[in-house]
Amino acid sequence: MRIFENLNVDFLGKRKFFYVISGTLFLFGLINIVFRGLEFGVDFKGGSEIVLQFSKQVDISNIRDNVKNIGLEDAEVKTFGGETGVLIRTELQEIPREVYPRIVSDIEKTINDNFPGLEKRVIDSTSSSITYQLPNPDTTDRLVEILNEEGFEAAEASVELDNRQIIVSVGIADWIEENLRESMPDNPFEVLKEDKVGPKVGRELKEDAVIALFLSLVVILIYLGFRFKFVFALGAVMSLFHNVLITLGLFSILYNVIPGLNLEIDLTIVAAFLTLIGYSINDTVVIFDRIRENMKIHKTLPLFDVINMSVNKTMSRTVLTGGTTLLTLLVLTIFGGEVLRAFAFTLFFGIIIGTYSSIFVAGALVYEYVSRSKKKVQF
Amino acid sequence: MKEFRFKIIIILGAIALSIYLLYPTYVDYQNSKEISQILEKKREEIKETDPEVTSETLKSRIRTVEDSIKTADPSIQEARQKRIKLGLDLQGGMRVVLEVNTGRLLEKLAKDPDQTFKDALNSAQAEASLSDEPVVDILARNFEEKGIRLSRYFGSVRDDDNTIISNLKSDAEDAVSRAMEIIRNRVDQYGVAEPSIQRQGSRRIIVELPGVAREEEAKQLLQGTALLEFRIVKDPEFTIAIMQNIDKVLAGKIIDDTTKMDSSLASNEVNKDTSTVQDTTKELSEEEFKKEHPFFSVAIINPQGRTADAFIKEDERNKITLMLNRPEVQKVIPNNVEFVFSAKSFIADNGNEYYTLYLVNKNPELTGGVITDANANIDPSTSAPIVNMTMDSDGATQWARITGANVGKRIAIILDGVVFSAPNVKGKIPGGRSQIEGMENMEEAKLLEIVLKAGALPAPVDIIEERTVGPSLGEDSINKGVLSGTAGFIITVIFLIIYYRRSGSVGSVALIFTVLFTLGVMAGFNATLTLPGIAGIILTITMSIDSNVLIYERIREELAVGKTIKASIDSGFSRALSAIVDSNVTTFFTGIILYQFGTGPVQGFALTLMIGIVASMFSALVVTRVILDYMVYKGAKITVG
Repeated sequence: MRIFENLNVDFLGKRKFFYVISGTLFLFGLINIVFRGLEFGVDFKGGSEIVLQFSKQVDISNIRDNVKNIGLEDAEVKTFGGETGVLIRTELQEIPREVYPRIVSDIEKTINDNFPGLEKRVIDSTSSSITYQLPNPDTTDRLVEILNEEGFEAAEASVELDNRQIIVSVGIADWIEENLRESMPDNPFEVLKEDKVGPKVGRELKEDAVIALFLSLVVILIYLGFRFKFVFALGAVMSLFHNVLITLGLFSILYNVIPGLNLEIDLTIVAAFLTLIGYSINDTVVIFDRIRENMKIHKTLPLFDVINMSVNKTMSRTVLTGGTTLLTLLVLTIFGGEVLRAFAFTLFFGIIIGTYSSIFVAGALVYEYVSRSKKKVQF
Repeated sequence: MKEFRFKIIIILGAIALSIYLLYPTYVDYQNSKEISQILEKKREEIKETDPEVTSETLKSRIRTVEDSIKTADPSIQEARQKRIKLGLDLQGGMRVVLEVNTGRLLEKLAKDPDQTFKDALNSAQAEASLSDEPVVDILARNFEEKGIRLSRYFGSVRDDDNTIISNLKSDAEDAVSRAMEIIRNRVDQYGVAEPSIQRQGSRRIIVELPGVAREEEAKQLLQGTALLEFRIVKDPEFTIAIMQNIDKVLAGKIIDDTTKMDSSLASNEVNKDTSTVQDTTKELSEEEFKKEHPFFSVAIINPQGRTADAFIKEDERNKITLMLNRPEVQKVIPNNVEFVFSAKSFIADNGNEYYTLYLVNKNPELTGGVITDANANIDPSTSAPIVNMTMDSDGATQWARITGANVGKRIAIILDGVVFSAPNVKGKIPGGRSQIEGMENMEEAKLLEIVLKAGALPAPVDIIEERTVGPSLGEDSINKGVLSGTAGFIITVIFLIIYYRRSGSVGSVALIFTVLFTLGVMAGFNATLTLPGIAGIILTITMSIDSNVLIYERIREELAVGKTIKASIDSGFSRALSAIVDSNVTTFFTGIILYQFGTGPVQGFALTLMIGIVASMFSALVVTRVILDYMVYKGAKITVG
């Protein structure tokens, strides 16, 4: 079985048409990025994110109201995976000041209900936890168990036998979880994931990601400059820019459009973009390799024809590899689970764009440069 | 045939090595399955016999059972250590990034801080949270603007600002090592399997705790204040007597009597026949000795030694803990003493790693709050490493009394429940200045300095990043990852065979090897498999396909020109080579960058991608080649679709 045998299409001759396509996609994405913006996940924005798995189907608006009621108006609530998963995200790092007393009174009510009149002293209270001193170690042990069963996150302050101190967490996640447990007693849940990222860390991660993307382009530019000619390296890196920016635009367009697909930009997505760079360069290099070879064989043939011939000759490989990769990514998007879905999705579209640009754009860019500079390129 | 021999040997070697490296992973998988079945059964049993049981107690009882299964068979541990490690996102657990809170440290260090100081510090902290400038510098600048000299709050009057600033900075650095040591110590004691504690930059610590999904447990480990105690080590006679008692109980010799016996009586009784136990020891074979003396076969005592410290092999530590926790053993240990381990193990002449087990008083003589300073140094007269320790006046008075009353005895320095050093008291120490000797090297002395300071000066840390993955999400991720990986693999293989016929099948074989080599190398490097890592392997499969496609397309082209199959294979490979190398090398570079700048799971992805690229190049260029060449040599029919 074979496809594209003896293919002979004048790709370069139609390059203007593909410039228009690329330009439109590019512009469309750019407009969306400018006006709709890109949504960043907690990794980069900082904040808290929890994912809960309920045992029965939940009404998402119900949870949304619940979270609003406890003083977290800005929190974002959406489904995660199936109908029983819920993702709650907020940019807040710690409990808002006006909510804090409510939590403390909640904790103290629980203590009072179980040990009426128990003598307790607050010995430390920070934005994320509150520490009580109790009269004796036994009560302390019991109370830790009780508080945990009531949905609080409590622990003894030290492992010493005569420990009389309890630390109760009052982080955002704890506060949300405790309240949901209380308001939905017949639908218990399990915490699947809990992330808390400080604003400074978020900023640093963002910087690192940008450096990583940029550096990888530079390294590719240098390596290809060595192995090919600088023109080729430039053409390859420009088409990489093209791929990344169009895919990024797609992110902005599709954000919150497809249900069940969370397209926030987080660390995993950055990894997907770097993989995309790795893959598309793979594609482009194979075509450039053929151009290099053909230039050596047909020394007199004009570059225009060499490029066309090379793209045609490698077409079957480009489509085959791209096709199998897309199939695998499709499988990963469908069966890979919630965590990998956005990753696989990014690569899926990125590779379509990447394959397109290897065929139609990368070689054309090299041709434009060479025909303008009037300098003869030779290997 | 000869020309293939060398390549075939290499390939077979690589296959054998991969299987050898992957075998522990398989064993570990089987073990965990068995253990979780046993535990599930046990859980049901406990619930049946005791329906009132609370979830906490149930958990701790299950944990004891789990520990005892795991310690019973050392091969379980061995397999676990050599398997492919799973990342936190796959097995569940916590990753926490801590940062030393310089502001709070400065507050502690300051001599009588007044309102001016507190205000300046607060504004410095607020500023530092937005910039990368260290708090110390900002604070110094704030004071300079106000015309206040730093010596008003830190150091002595004669010091100029620059000296104080550099001192404060080194204090802040110290605090990071202190916090790390405290955390490492606790995590070790807590029994978290395969923890990772790393320093990042000058102020941060990254802690990864697999299997710990409860925030509170982690916070307790990471943030609570460290407890430093000085406790008297019991003298050898007393210790030996109790150990012999334990030994007897465990051997089942005095099991019936223990209920009646008071602990002090028990030790008397055994004292009487100490001699008989020692006499018979020599005649027993190893097996018999193990049966007769279950405790002493694990806890080794140097008969010539002047102390009764028992040495326990590293892998038998849990066993001893389980023995000591048995209720019948607890009965023969007096209430006012307890066994504690050394914090660090040492390597004996026979190459084994040992922990030391001490018997110490339960009540501390003194706690670490009284220490004002500690310094590791070299003794000028003997050039041996020493640690100088100073105490405040209150502590000094007590210290003089304690040391005076215990000359010749040893005092254990215990941080969070484990012994870091147990120096001998040479004489009464008045004035609160003590010198501790007997460290093997400067490193050990430095560690003791950190430990002593930990009791005096807490190292306040803030959690600045925290990620928790519940165990069920991890399991789900593995299952889905493996499912989609297998599906992707099968689709690719089917496609290859349909499109390239017989050479496609050869490529599929190479594909299997790619996956095998990738996993084998990961196990060999002790690399961690993360969820993006699984995605990396799946992508590797497609990368590997690409090399095969490149080669086969070339062979087809050569065949079309009319070359023989042998010549086509030769030139097909050599022509595809540059494309394969160039494209894979560039992808490899992006992998390196991803590894450098990524964290946790993303790093795992980069690693599998890099290993996968190398493995796929090997399979495509060597394995596929050898099989095709061999087929040509044997005259088999080769179809390239």
